[in-house]
Amino acid sequence: MTLLRAAWLILRKDLQIELRTGEVVVTTALFATLVTVITSLSFYVDERSGQMVAPGVLWVAVAFAGVLAMSRSWTRERENDAFRGLLLSPAPRAAIYVGKTLGTLAFLGVVEAVLVLEVAVLFNLDLTKILLPLVGLLVLGTIGFAATGNLFAAMGVRTRARDMVLAVALFPVIAPALLCGVVATRELLGGAPAHEIWQWAQILLAFDVAFATTGVLLFEPLVCD
Amino acid sequence: MKLEFDRVQAHGLVKVFGATRALAGVDVSFAAHSITALEGHNGSGKSTLLSLLALLARPTRGEIRFGQYDARNTPALRSRIGVLAHSAMVYPDLTAHENLALAAELYGLAANDSHVLGLTERFGLGGWANRPARTYSRGQLQRLSLARAVLHRPQLLLLDEPSTGLDVSSVERLVVAIQEERERGAIVVLVTHDRSLSDRLADSRIELRQGRLAEAKA
Repeated sequence: MTLLRAAWLILRKDLQIELRTGEVVVTTALFATLVTVITSLSFYVDERSGQMVAPGVLWVAVAFAGVLAMSRSWTRERENDAFRGLLLSPAPRAAIYVGKTLGTLAFLGVVEAVLVLEVAVLFNLDLTKILLPLVGLLVLGTIGFAATGNLFAAMGVRTRARDMVLAVALFPVIAPALLCGVVATRELLGGAPAHEIWQWAQILLAFDVAFATTGVLLFEPLVCD
Repeated sequence: MKLEFDRVQAHGLVKVFGATRALAGVDVSFAAHSITALEGHNGSGKSTLLSLLALLARPTRGEIRFGQYDARNTPALRSRIGVLAHSAMVYPDLTAHENLALAAELYGLAANDSHVLGLTERFGLGGWANRPARTYSRGQLQRLSLARAVLHRPQLLLLDEPSTGLDVSSVERLVVAIQEERERGAIVVLVTHDRSLSDRLADSRIELRQGRLAEAKA
């Protein structure tokens, strides 16, 4: 069985369960909405303040919602020890990591679509002209975040302090990518030229390649005794 | 390529977790067409031995051979191993059919294979096959788990307390299923505290005590 075929089976299973229960997307979208509404009430004064605060709000909401989504997604693997069933199968173990990461990307993609709309409305921003590069930055940032987060989530799947491990250990590692995303979004909203945004995007891309490669290589040794 | 073997042999198996020596040098051999009862008190190393045989963990020292294949270098051997563990290893939000279809595809079988489709009937889950596993009783989950363990016709079948939660008729069905696996040529390793079950099924017994082989009886 190829890695891609097995990853697709695991992704399909996650989507099938999510379509049936809706619990990951609904809970994370509600959480992200709450963060956005509270911060807009606290920090939005005028268009200028909105433009300054919105990038941070957007990425903080993505980060917190992402941790929640990954935590919930891996909780499903712990129920009935289903994760062990995946490890027992002949599928390449890295495929579990790839499938779960793609699942997280799909869930966060939906949440981010809602989030961008909310940020635009609540912070009174016209995002139509920068929508494409903004989506590009979000995709790149989310890939790195999901690639790293799923590795930590898998490591914690058999520990009692799993949620703490995910939250405490993940953020220091992912901080450079998050900061990069925030600054790039701020520059984008401030009207920076395309080549500047592209430089930030390249850094995010480098993070993605490094984190995803590390995840694929380390997943099996980390989840097996 | 289907990996064929008619014997599983472990030599000098040692498994250490931190300061705990779960297995302290175990030599054991299991043959095809036989059911071996693996006995021992809690903490004697039975689950650790099963975990090593299932290739879920690597031994600290020692080796396991599946016929001519060295377990360390042949991850594809996982396709020839079936495991029934304490936990059901199924997704509660998927139905029995969906859980079995997923497992079948992960083992390289077609989800609509007649053998796979027939498993729910064979294990008495026919009327429940399209309900989420979350709604199953402990016994139904155990039967689904057994169906999952045998769906790819494993050459090595590892059963950890298979009769847990089963009523009398389900135990009878379990006995028949395990005997069928033996007749098919599987190597069956049975861990159970249910003496009546092992008396009915086992061709031989081995006992673990504090991580060592205490006894081997035909």
